[in-house]
Amino acid sequence: QATRNVDLTKSETDLNTHIKKATSIEETAPKRKHVRACIVYTWDHKSSQSFWNGIKVQPIQADEVQTFKALYTVHKVLQEGHPIALKEAQQHVGWLEGLSRGMMGGMGGEGLRGYAPLIQEYIFYLVSKLKFHREHPEFNGTFEYEEYISLKSINDPNEGYETISELMTLQDQIDSFQKLLFAHFRTGSNNECRISALVPLVQESYGIYKFITSMLRAMHTTLGDDEALSPLRGRYDAQHYRLVRFYYECSNLRYLTSLITIPKLPQDPPNVLVEDENAPALPQ
Amino acid sequence: MSSVLRSVKNVTKGYSSVQVKVRNATSNDPWGPTGTDMADIAKITFNSSTDFYEVMDMLDKRLNDKGKNWRHVLKSLKVLDYCLHEGSELVVTWARKNIYIIKTLREFIHIDEDGRDVGASIRASAKELTSLILDEERLRAERANRGSWKSRVTGLEDF
Repeated sequence: QATRNVDLTKSETDLNTHIKKATSIEETAPKRKHVRACIVYTWDHKSSQSFWNGIKVQPIQADEVQTFKALYTVHKVLQEGHPIALKEAQQHVGWLEGLSRGMMGGMGGEGLRGYAPLIQEYIFYLVSKLKFHREHPEFNGTFEYEEYISLKSINDPNEGYETISELMTLQDQIDSFQKLLFAHFRTGSNNECRISALVPLVQESYGIYKFITSMLRAMHTTLGDDEALSPLRGRYDAQHYRLVRFYYECSNLRYLTSLITIPKLPQDPPNVLVEDENAPALPQ
Repeated sequence: MSSVLRSVKNVTKGYSSVQVKVRNATSNDPWGPTGTDMADIAKITFNSSTDFYEVMDMLDKRLNDKGKNWRHVLKSLKVLDYCLHEGSELVVTWARKNIYIIKTLREFIHIDEDGRDVGASIRASAKELTSLILDEERLRAERANRGSWKSRVTGLEDF
């Protein structure tokens, strides 16, 4: 009971219109309205199959901006869509990888408007993200904090160690991707299309950061084995400094700051060895 | 002008009195919803299930309206906020179940003809409402204590 009153019959046609408009040829940020409609669709129908069917029939490969906007749209649906979207996306990894091959054959070098390297990197990231979610179905699309995950990792420290390492690898990939995006800003353009991809990256990197922080702290508390965990600590500190820099650079982009709250991290990484009352607020 | 048009539509489209109430409270007029409107709507959610769904379906429609009608969206968030506090328990269940409708408004964008970023107030409201709905304990406390949340839903006269 208490569900929304959705007209299930007319919505598939609507969905295709939204996908088409979200991935239009204009070099702008994909319109939130249309991306939101795709996300809402997966919740209303508890399925993302129509979304995939719809995006696959769009002629996005003909144009680099359209391809880029399609990848952004996929990313947002994975993040905010019904959890089933993450599961069902596994069948479409091949299609994503195919987009990358299409790029290499279709356009030499950077592409007319310089999106080719960004597309390659975006696909690389999404494929890694999907691989992570395949192996860790307990995580949601934005890595929002759930208490039980850190508890589970403490019970099995080996698994916890693995999970943290894999999350750190994803974090490194986000970092290279964001650097590439910044490096491809063009003067004389508002860069909105490129900046739009920073939105899910900021959200995801912060989700990962919060997870790693609480998992590392919890593992130190229960294991008490500082030596074994020291490689993770070294990597954690390095990632902290890179994230501070990333968020600082994002905070100078008006389009971005008006849209989302850029997280504020302390200048230095928190000490995960102790239950620290000055620790950054644990994920709520 | 828009209010004349609205009353014509209310008749021609055969809206019930409950639907008219919600439509008027979440209209494009640059004022409202008034406290009386919201209190009335919250009260209606305790009536029959037909009345309850007429309120929620209309709010739902307004929440998913296009950018040009950003006032529909903003006002519906305010009305929903009010009903979550003063309305029936079913409103809380509805909001939990359909939280993605509100969550996905946290990135709502609309720039009006004067170049004003009118989406900002919607993004802020959606953020606030999302965290409230996810925080069961806080919502319980606020439903028990009227004073603590009222400032959020007043002061709409100045846009």
